[in-house]
Amino acid sequence: MNMPGERREIAVDYLARVEGEGAMYLKIDGGEVTDLQFNIFEPPRFYEAFLRGRHFAEAPDITSRICGICPVAYQTSAVNAMENAAGMFVGGQIRELRRLLYFGEWIESHTLHVYMLHAPDFLGYPSAIEMAADLPDAVTNALRLKKLGNSIMTMVGGREIHPVNVRVGGFYRSPTKSELRSLVDELEWALATAEATVALVATFDFPDFEMDYDFVALHHPDEYAITDGRIVSSSGIDIDPTQWPDHFEETHVEWSNALHANIIGGGSYYVGPMARFALNGKQLSPRAKAAAESVGLVPGESNPFKSIIVRAVEIVHACETSLEIIGSYEPPDPPFVVVEPRSATGHGVSEAPRGLLYHRYDIDEKDLIADAQIVPPTSQNQRSIENDLREYVSGRTHLDDETLTWQLEQAIRNYDPCISCATHFLDLTVERTAAK
Amino acid sequence: MTRRLIGIGNPDRGDDAAGWEVAGRVTSWDVSRLTAGSLSLIDLWDADDEVVIVDAMKSGASRGTVVRIDAITDRLPQGQFSSTHAFGPAAVVELARTMDRLPRSLVVYGIEAGHVDHGAPMSPEVIAAVSAVAEELQHA
Repeated sequence: MNMPGERREIAVDYLARVEGEGAMYLKIDGGEVTDLQFNIFEPPRFYEAFLRGRHFAEAPDITSRICGICPVAYQTSAVNAMENAAGMFVGGQIRELRRLLYFGEWIESHTLHVYMLHAPDFLGYPSAIEMAADLPDAVTNALRLKKLGNSIMTMVGGREIHPVNVRVGGFYRSPTKSELRSLVDELEWALATAEATVALVATFDFPDFEMDYDFVALHHPDEYAITDGRIVSSSGIDIDPTQWPDHFEETHVEWSNALHANIIGGGSYYVGPMARFALNGKQLSPRAKAAAESVGLVPGESNPFKSIIVRAVEIVHACETSLEIIGSYEPPDPPFVVVEPRSATGHGVSEAPRGLLYHRYDIDEKDLIADAQIVPPTSQNQRSIENDLREYVSGRTHLDDETLTWQLEQAIRNYDPCISCATHFLDLTVERTAAK
Repeated sequence: MTRRLIGIGNPDRGDDAAGWEVAGRVTSWDVSRLTAGSLSLIDLWDADDEVVIVDAMKSGASRGTVVRIDAITDRLPQGQFSSTHAFGPAAVVELARTMDRLPRSLVVYGIEAGHVDHGAPMSPEVIAAVSAVAEELQHA
C-alpha cells in the first residue's frame, strides 16, 4: 500500500508477448492520472524510404517483409494500391484466392493472439508455457489451428512467412482444386474448434470497462470486408479508399517516434476486430454469427477486453468462409491479369488481423515508386490505447502496482499491437506521487 | 531421422540476420529459415529428428560471441533469444518441452548481435561468427 508522501516507481523490463518495441510511462499523482505516454519505437519509416525508386511491382514483396505476422495484409494493401494506380480492380477467382490467403493469416494470427498471448492474461498465467502445463488440450488445439492457418498460407501464398506467390494482378501460380480440397477436413475440424474457442473465452472474467469508440473499418456490400471495400466509421464516414488523405492524418507526438493517426476534425479512432464486428457484424458467416449470439456478443460491443471473443468469432468466420471459397473454387487461368502501370497515385487498403492497413504510392513515368506512405493499424490505434489506459487507471489507482501493471498489459494487448510495424518490447513505468 | 537446421532472423535488420545467414550457407542439412512468427518452429521437427537452431541473441556478451546450448539437457535463457520475433525461440522450445514435443536432439546456437537497425548490414564480428558456425555445421 502506498503511504502519503511516498513516491514509487515501477519499471517492468518488458511487456512479454506484445510483439514489437514500445514503452509506457504513467504518472499517478494523489490518485489522479496526471501523465500517460505510450511510446512505440516504430522502425522510423525505414520501409517507406526503402521503397522509393523501386519498381512498382516490387512493393508486395518488399512490404511483406515489414511484418512476419501479417505479410499477407501488407501484400494485399500493396497490390490493391498498385492496381488502383493502374485504374484496375481485380475480381473473380483471383480475388477469392486472395481472400482465402488472407483468411489463412487471420486464423494464424488470431489463434496466436487468443490462445498464446491474451488467454494467459485472463487466466492468470505469466505465459502460454505455464498455461500449457495446466491446459495441454487447449494449447494443442491452438497449435493445430495455427498450423492450419500456416498451411493455407503455404498452399496459396507459396510459403507461410513472406509469401512469394503474390504479384500485382494476382498470383504467379494458382493452386489446383485437389490441392485446396486437401484442406477441407482440417478446416471442418477447425470450424468446430473455433466455435468451442468462442464458448471458452466467453467464460473469462472481463473487467467492467466500456469506452465510447469511433470504430473504423472496411465495408463491403456483400460480405464481411477483408480484401477491399469502402472505409466506414461509426461516426458516419463512408468514403472510397482514395479519399483516405482527406479524412485521416498522421501527426508526430513528442514522446513517440511512431506517427499517431487521427480523423481530421475528429480525433482518435479504433480499428481491428472490434471495429469490424461493430460495423459489419451482420455480414459474418452463419456459424460465426450464431457463435457470437450464443455468448451474448452483439455488434457495437464497447468493452475492449471482449476483443478476445470477437477474434475467436472471426476465426469461425474465416474457417467457414474458407470452406465456401474452396467449395466453389475454379483455378484462374492465367492466375493473374496484366497490370499496365501508369504515372499516378494509388491507394490500397485491407483488413489486417489487427485492423485497417492503408498504403499509398506515387508512381512515376518510369514505373518507379516516387513516394510511399504506409499506415499500420497499431499506429491508428495508439490514441485509443492511451485513452483506454488513462480511463482504466483512473478508476483503479487503488490497485497495488503488481495488479495494475498486469491489468494494463492486458489492456494494451486488447489491441494486439503488432511486431515490427509497431512494437517489440514494452517498458512499463508507473510513477506514483502522493497528492501535495 | 532427419537432420534439420533452422535459421531464425530478419535479413533486413543488421546482426539479427545471423541465423538466417547461417542457414543460407549450409547445404548438408535440411534447412528452414524463419523470420518472425517462430511459434511455427514447433511444427518444423518430428520426434526423432536431430535439430539445430541458430539465432541472434542479446546476452550482453561482445558482439559475434557464439554460445552453444544443448536444449535437451539445459533450459534456454528466456529473454536472451527474444530478439525481434513474435514468440521467441526460447519460449517455443520451453513450450515444446512442457508439451513433450521436443525432438530427439536439439542444439541451439546463439550469435551475439550488436546492432539490429533496419536496413543495416551485419557487423564484421557477426559475419565472422556466421562463417564459423556455418563451417562447423556444414562438416558436422
